Amino acid sequence: MEKHAVQLRGSTADDSRLRAFFKVLSRQKMLMLMSLPFLAWVIVFKYVPLWGWTIAFQKYKLARDLFDQTWVGLDNFAFLFREEQFYLVLRNTLVMSSVNLVLGFVTAILLALLLNELRRVYFKRTVQTISYLPHFISWVVAANIVQTALAPEGIFNVLLLQLNIIDKPVLWLGVGEYFWGILGATEVWKNVGWNTIIYLAAITTIDPTQYEAAEIDGASRLQRMWHITLPGIKPVIVILLIMNLGHILESGFEPQYLLGNGMNVEYSENLDIFVLKYGIQMNNFGLATAAGMFKTVVSFIFLIVANNLAKRLGESRLY
Amino acid sequence: MRKKKWLNTSLAVITAVSLLLAGCSSNNNDGGSKTNTNANDSTDGNAVDNTDPVTFSYFGFGTNIDVMASETTIGKILQEQTGVDWKMEYVVGDPSTKAGVMIAGGEYPDVISPVGELSKLLNAGAYIPLNDLIEKHGPNIKRVYGEYMDKITHEDGNIYILPFTANVGGYLNDPDAGSNIWIQRRVLKEFGYPEVKTLDQYFDLIVKYQEKYPSVDGKETVGFVTFAGEQGQFYTITNAPMHLAGYPNDGNVLVDMETHEAKLYMATEHEKRWLKKLNEMNAKGLVDPETFTANGDQFKAKLTSGRVLGFVGYIWQMADAMNNLKTAGNDDLRYVSLPIVFDESITDAYMDPPSFVNNRGLGISVSAKDPVRIIKYWDNLLKEENQRLVQWGEEGVTYSVNEEGRFIMSAEQLANRNDNEFKRKYGWAYFDYEWPRYGDNSVYEDGNAHLPARQPEVANVNYTDGDRELLNAYGIETFSGFFAQPVERPWYPAWSIEKEQGSPEQIFNQKAGDLQQKFYPKLVFATEAQFESVWNDYLAEFGKLDAAGFEKFMTDKVKARIAGVW
Amino acid sequence: MSKTKSKRYSSMGDQIFDVCNYIFMFVLILFTLYPFINMLALAFNDANDSIKGHIYLWPRDWTIQNFQYVFSESNIFFATFISAARTIVGTVISVFCTAMLAYTISRSEYALKKFVSITFIFTMYFSGGLIPSYLLIKELNMLNSFWVYIIPGIIGVFNMIVIRSFIEGLPEGIMESAKMDGAGDFITFVRIVLPLTVPALATVSLFVAVYQWNSWFDVFLYNSSRPHLSTLQYELMKILSTSNTTASAADAFANAQGNKTVVTPTSIRATMTIVASVPIIMVYPFLQKYFVKGMVVGGVKG
Repeated sequence: MEKHAVQLRGSTADDSRLRAFFKVLSRQKMLMLMSLPFLAWVIVFKYVPLWGWTIAFQKYKLARDLFDQTWVGLDNFAFLFREEQFYLVLRNTLVMSSVNLVLGFVTAILLALLLNELRRVYFKRTVQTISYLPHFISWVVAANIVQTALAPEGIFNVLLLQLNIIDKPVLWLGVGEYFWGILGATEVWKNVGWNTIIYLAAITTIDPTQYEAAEIDGASRLQRMWHITLPGIKPVIVILLIMNLGHILESGFEPQYLLGNGMNVEYSENLDIFVLKYGIQMNNFGLATAAGMFKTVVSFIFLIVANNLAKRLGESRLY
Repeated sequence: MRKKKWLNTSLAVITAVSLLLAGCSSNNNDGGSKTNTNANDSTDGNAVDNTDPVTFSYFGFGTNIDVMASETTIGKILQEQTGVDWKMEYVVGDPSTKAGVMIAGGEYPDVISPVGELSKLLNAGAYIPLNDLIEKHGPNIKRVYGEYMDKITHEDGNIYILPFTANVGGYLNDPDAGSNIWIQRRVLKEFGYPEVKTLDQYFDLIVKYQEKYPSVDGKETVGFVTFAGEQGQFYTITNAPMHLAGYPNDGNVLVDMETHEAKLYMATEHEKRWLKKLNEMNAKGLVDPETFTANGDQFKAKLTSGRVLGFVGYIWQMADAMNNLKTAGNDDLRYVSLPIVFDESITDAYMDPPSFVNNRGLGISVSAKDPVRIIKYWDNLLKEENQRLVQWGEEGVTYSVNEEGRFIMSAEQLANRNDNEFKRKYGWAYFDYEWPRYGDNSVYEDGNAHLPARQPEVANVNYTDGDRELLNAYGIETFSGFFAQPVERPWYPAWSIEKEQGSPEQIFNQKAGDLQQKFYPKLVFATEAQFESVWNDYLAEFGKLDAAGFEKFMTDKVKARIAGVW
Repeated sequence: MSKTKSKRYSSMGDQIFDVCNYIFMFVLILFTLYPFINMLALAFNDANDSIKGHIYLWPRDWTIQNFQYVFSESNIFFATFISAARTIVGTVISVFCTAMLAYTISRSEYALKKFVSITFIFTMYFSGGLIPSYLLIKELNMLNSFWVYIIPGIIGVFNMIVIRSFIEGLPEGIMESAKMDGAGDFITFVRIVLPLTVPALATVSLFVAVYQWNSWFDVFLYNSSRPHLSTLQYELMKILSTSNTTASAADAFANAQGNKTVVTPTSIRATMTIVASVPIIMVYPFLQKYFVKGMVVGGVKG
């Protein structure tokens, strides 16, 4: 009896909340009209293809119907997690993407701040344009330039020898321990200008009166950078940081593949190369899909934790 | 429930929108569709051959520039004979992805040359069986492929592709055959063109030369380098022990001539001997430190600098560098490959034995509208006169015939035959390989070689004075004179044995390769004292792999091939 | 303007800072300009000669042969037109739609705000894979059409987030006052929000334009047998993949030394880099002026 009453009350409460919700919605017709077509789009183009995840549970053969495939349960995942090599490439992936994340953020923000301090507009624009040129060079070309520079007779060794920092040429790409650093530096060189763009755009929204006020207070350049510019772009920084933490298992593929070799393979091989070797090159799509699902799960964990952390710290959030 | 509705409505909306859009764009598309209106007429079998104009589509998983066959001289001539034109397309980007997408879409070009994607396309049922078509319409196909029928017939009794390696009328070796172990010619010259047969002799020469000339033009000479720094090229250095032990390129196994057992040479004495030698040479400062890190461009730059005394590599990995040296004109700085083996007692096997590669070929797809017409075209192509056309061209234009009836080419004709641009314009680039054809080693009825490059008279035109000096010094006519005649190996090549996707054999292959990639540099650069212990580490790692299972798999397949099951 | 201003700051520390900053910028230019100069040198150097390596800042053996080779592909000019078309159409449509969606999820009162945001954000971290995507496009009848370049990428989630955070940075009062004047959401978006987020829109336009200009994979997947829908990058990929036929096993003459080497992948790649990137780099200054400004001009005043 009592139970029933509770249920009844509960449902009316739900009902009225639902009704209130729809009432709000009907008032927001325009907002819905502006967003729901895209919701349909995202479902069709991004969520519908997710049926492809069933491949992770199959020994997938092309040109066969879903029902004619051989289902293998969790075999593909088991192969992944039992493989010793998997943990090595996971370590490499995590380290490399962390290095890239930290270096990428710090250098891009720093460059944006420094560019902002340049007072000659044309010089500023010129520097900024040039700095993003390497972004348009393919990785094959970029890797080739790096390999040439780091060769025993390359410019890097020549310079270090001249400066007496080393006494004989170092085979930089032949020492596994150096690989992460080389990769990080290469990524910075190639992308710092490009990554700066978004911060420069954010800087334009900072209210210029703040700078004027600081000037009157006699704040130094560094103080202004620290107390005005940086806080001004903080929301963007935090949002980008959260988004990129979700990509923690995406450390890139091409640079590692191109700069990797037998001597540094224990440091250079990452998850994507592993999947290429054991999944794609063997036409083992099940394994490749399983690895993709694993990445997604890890992404979500990082994303959600980072977002909640930001929420608790009172920073801007992704959602 | 609500969600489902959502999905349906949204799908409907999007479909409607996209249909609208597709409707707009399809108007533009008509120009590209095939002119295929007359196709139906030709299906009535053996009546008078239909030469109504028709265009079929050809797709190659190799690399080339797309073309209409009739825009080339050869394609035009063949079109005049048959009425058939081809829209020829080639893969751009990753072939495997392309094959996957093609299969998923379920629509195929009329004919497909699958290169590495055969098993995928076969599994997907992309090809039609050719047996009946050949029986009815292919007298020339039967003549050329007759003795290979068991090798081209699939397990289910059907023929799906016609391979490119069916030799006709004898077996002619390549006059410019080579090995993968090279030495700079000035080294041989310096010591009066000595006989170099064993690995020890080879390295002794290099050591002696480097002691005498430690630098050239102010730059240090590089004793020895391998092309093992680029991903995917590591086989350059791992294949060496196989060749040194006197076996041809069977992949990662040595097949015993008597027992037909396939044995891995990885982690054997052969491999150890090779690596030990490199290790010793490294201790003497002879091995280039960049041997495992230099990429292709860096490797080629080294070779063309003239500083390198010896190296390991296959010609197709650095043909442009060898060319560059040839055009530079200093024959002393060029290289020659030698029949190097471990011991005097071993006969080298660098020259390919007669072989039949049955997983490369051309097949007709299930989407083809007029297979009969296509088979007839192929049959016509296999007439000896047309085979001559696709290799030699037209008499008096691209080659001539001397008094003895031998085909010859002038220097200019040969240059054209080798010039990529001319080859495309003339059609050699499109017709001399990926079609049903005579194998490379074929000989015409009149005794001329099928391949111009295999005709000694032609090879000779290509030689420089330095080439002749070198050949004379060793008393041989052509470069293949260095090498022993190949021995019949009915399973050859074992590397073309198909391994199923994700199978233990495939995984073994990958892991074994990874292991070699990891340990070779360590073994070569180890101090001589460390070598044994690193080698033992390598053996221990290797022990974790199922080598026996792999060997059994390969042995079974080799034996099956010998029994005629390909 | 800058000169008179620079006189005003003149503390010792600031001057040292300026000197260091300029030095740093010159070093940066040195590093980031080099690859491009290197590509120019290689592109204008004879391919056969380039095999010898050691080309850094200047060609050793001048030639325009590499460019001739690339431009001899007859379809390349029309493909450039398609590239330009997809870049312009794709950028305009995508930026407008993305900004509109970003506006809706920036409205704190919007009841579906969180649902829509999360639905989109999650898609950044998964993919159903190549084959399902291909089949979808096929089912939607979008194969062999121009719109396959535009529709599947119409919303960039990353860009959406960027624009949203800019909109959220606008003073709330602006939109409120627009509402007071009776403007609906769409009008507010078009009349108020778009003009005020120009730096963000310029940034995002750049991202989309570069993406569109550089794409070749969708051509490869969906339109590879339609020459009239081919793009510049795809044509260049084709030229590149044929530039190393000498190395292919299919070449019956692979063993015959003495082929006239006309092109090599290295030279073609350098030439491609120049051909493909110069147009997009030239567009850059027009967008750049919106997000790289003199310090005083930018900003939003309430």
